[in-house]
Amino acid sequence: MNRCFPGWMTAALALVAAMSAPAGAQDAGTLLRTADGKPDLSGIWQAVTSANWNIQAHSAENGVPAGLGVVDGDEIPYQPWAAAKKRENFANRATADPESRCYLPGVPRITYMPFPFQIFQTPGHIAITYEYVHAVRRIFMNSPHPEGPIEWWMGDSRGRWEGDTLVVDVIHFTDQTWFDRAGNFHSEALHVVERYTPITPYHVNYEATIEDPKVFTRPWKVSLPLYRRLEKNLRVLDYECYAFGLERTWYRPPE
Amino acid sequence: MRSRCPVLLFALALASLIAGAAVDARQQEPAKPYTPPRTPDGQPDIQGIYNPVGTFYNIEDLEYQSLYQNFKPNPSLRGKSLIIDPPDGKIPYQTWAAEKRKPIYQLHGDPTPQYVDPNARCWPQGVPRHVNNREFEIFQPPGYVVIFNMAHHTYRAITLDGSPHIPESVKLWMGDSRGRWEGNTLVVDVTNNNDQTWFDVMASFHSDAMRVTERMTPVSADRIEYQAVITDPKVYTRPWTFAIYFNRNKDYGSELWEEACVESNDRNLELLKRPGRN
Repeated sequence: MNRCFPGWMTAALALVAAMSAPAGAQDAGTLLRTADGKPDLSGIWQAVTSANWNIQAHSAENGVPAGLGVVDGDEIPYQPWAAAKKRENFANRATADPESRCYLPGVPRITYMPFPFQIFQTPGHIAITYEYVHAVRRIFMNSPHPEGPIEWWMGDSRGRWEGDTLVVDVIHFTDQTWFDRAGNFHSEALHVVERYTPITPYHVNYEATIEDPKVFTRPWKVSLPLYRRLEKNLRVLDYECYAFGLERTWYRPPE
Repeated sequence: MRSRCPVLLFALALASLIAGAAVDARQQEPAKPYTPPRTPDGQPDIQGIYNPVGTFYNIEDLEYQSLYQNFKPNPSLRGKSLIIDPPDGKIPYQTWAAEKRKPIYQLHGDPTPQYVDPNARCWPQGVPRHVNNREFEIFQPPGYVVIFNMAHHTYRAITLDGSPHIPESVKLWMGDSRGRWEGNTLVVDVTNNNDQTWFDVMASFHSDAMRVTERMTPVSADRIEYQAVITDPKVYTRPWTFAIYFNRNKDYGSELWEEACVESNDRNLELLKRPGRN
């Protein structure tokens, strides 16, 4: 709302081209902050990575960009049965990947889907709206997880600030989502701890620690930067994956 | 459980309103002056979880809600409409459009796959159905009003920054919403709508030329009056106005939880295929 922002903020807005600018913007090297002094993550962000094809290092294939991976150490510590399952998933990935059915991709995969997402931030609640299949995450701050058993596609997210890092604890997953198109998977016992650390007004260092005692022998971690999208008049659009090819089946107005 | 979402076929399975509680918008009590509190960025604060009061079944005839959900028929609602203009309560279709709708309307209780309610196919509801379909939440971070609907986690981010609409060639399921506060009334201009959404279960439809102007006015701490003026020169003979109100939901709790849809539902269209139909 224009009348809510002082004049100098317009300049900051033009500079950052963020969808929402908080108080405290000073110069490009200083983090944006909200009225309560927390880093302001509001705005539209996107990962730039080939992790959705494969979170580990991989060569290019037709339609698949090469990548150095986002897994720390490039090793995923599968239990022996799970390593076999991963190989099976990889062999069947064209149809077995839940993304091929347009399902909600879970966490952390939604973060590195090649689509933008928007963060809305208040002290008690952070909401993230994603362009991909209009996924939504509601991160309730400083509150406990609801009692399970619950299996949600996007899990249950509870946040807290540790200094300038937003830490989000996510549990209550299904066993139906994968980490990528390469068959990397988990069980419903998945526990993800995300850390969003802004390093400039335009960059967030994103880390997710993955724990799943049914599938892995130890916790492991992915890390990648998130980039603030700066295009003028940018907004999150839609990608209703499951509707493509099925819509427009019932009528057309006369031209 | 794999999901909190039940297997959905028709909006029949979405029942959350009882026809007996449905009230014609024209019979609402007159608005009393109400001054809502303010958010930190100065917006009238209307945040919370609400339910629409009316019907999502047939916006032109409230009795359908009871007839098709096996509730006790309530003849007093017959012919009562959520449309306050034109005065007859009917959507002013052009002749071709009324003809186009007829077979879909008649088949709606047992549709062939291509005539299934788009909402039951888990597609985003579009506007105004987004706020006439189950619980929804209004969230007001700085510079925005964001509306989250319980039903298949659809959302709409209404920016208040005065920025222009996106290019007309871009069509979106939920449209492009630009809002402003006029006193305590949130006025939202919704353009860039695609032509795939309905207003209710009964095949009430529009084209991609539709424009919706919404007005949301809090009249008490627990009630918001809502009107939407619908214009679409490709389909209607004149603009028309849809009016309902929202009641604050005090039973649900403070958090709207995940309700996935297509994840449980994507094979169900197959069930509608029978010999002799397609």
